[in-house]
Amino acid sequence: MAMASVRIRQAEEGDCGNILKLIRELAEYEKLSDQVKISEEALRADGFGENPFYCCLVAELLPAPGEPQGQGIGSKIIKKVAEVALERGCSQLRLTVLDWNKGAMDLYKALGARDLTEAEGWHSFRFEEEAMRELAGK
Amino acid sequence: MAMASVRIRQAEEGDCGNILKLIRELAEYEKLSDQVKISEEALRADGFGENPFYCCLVAELLPAPGEPQGQGIGSKIIKKVAEVRRGMGPPAWFWKSKHVALERGCSQLRLTVLDWNKGAMDLYKALGARDLTEAEGWHSFRFEEEAMRELAGK
Repeated sequence: MAMASVRIRQAEEGDCGNILKLIRELAEYEKLSDQVKISEEALRADGFGENPFYCCLVAELLPAPGEPQGQGIGSKIIKKVAEVALERGCSQLRLTVLDWNKGAMDLYKALGARDLTEAEGWHSFRFEEEAMRELAGK
Repeated sequence: MAMASVRIRQAEEGDCGNILKLIRELAEYEKLSDQVKISEEALRADGFGENPFYCCLVAELLPAPGEPQGQGIGSKIIKKVAEVRRGMGPPAWFWKSKHVALERGCSQLRLTVLDWNKGAMDLYKALGARDLTEAEGWHSFRFEEEAMRELAGK
């Protein structure tokens, strides 16, 4: 039986609609849907304008009949991100994971990541835009 | 009695020696001295080459006689950072701007703090930050360069 094929490529402007859909699906899974503020227009402008604020890789799946989707996709994505990051001169790859998301934590650990919060006691802090504006006096 | 004056400005290439010194002092405070891998040469190349990887602000102190140093410096630095735009590395025009504004698109300011560093945690919370690890259960994960090379098959 034929295997599902996965292609990981740089995102294009036309992907922004689907990227937003994936962002919303992830937020729903994380029970943080109310935190999604981004729009498709912002994704396009921020990612494909003159001075891009982010880079994005997309995994395209062409599942073969009868084969379950999603086999090893997470690992393939992380590997590609590591490759791109190294090419750009990065020496670390950092991310955050919810403490109840055991599947994700296990995946990242299996791929060689270390839980810094558990190992060293690091806490992730965030200033929201409103707080930033107050600080900047605007 | 005259107040100590604090000037917060963009870092220049000549600051890299002192920046490295500050990095080492912070690592010593965090009991993580063995994790400092950066060199002055790397700071210069990464920060002041054609495609800068980071932006840096420096706080210069000119203490007045009799005044203790360090009054409110942390807050002043965070306020200035809130003004500055984010990004993988600022484009060329960034260096010509006097003020890099929030309206260029930064909607969050993120950082990590050690759980025993109460002074820092209190400062950031007082300035309006939220502890996401405590509030939502986020854990900070890191792949080191060696792990990245293994993944990339290099």
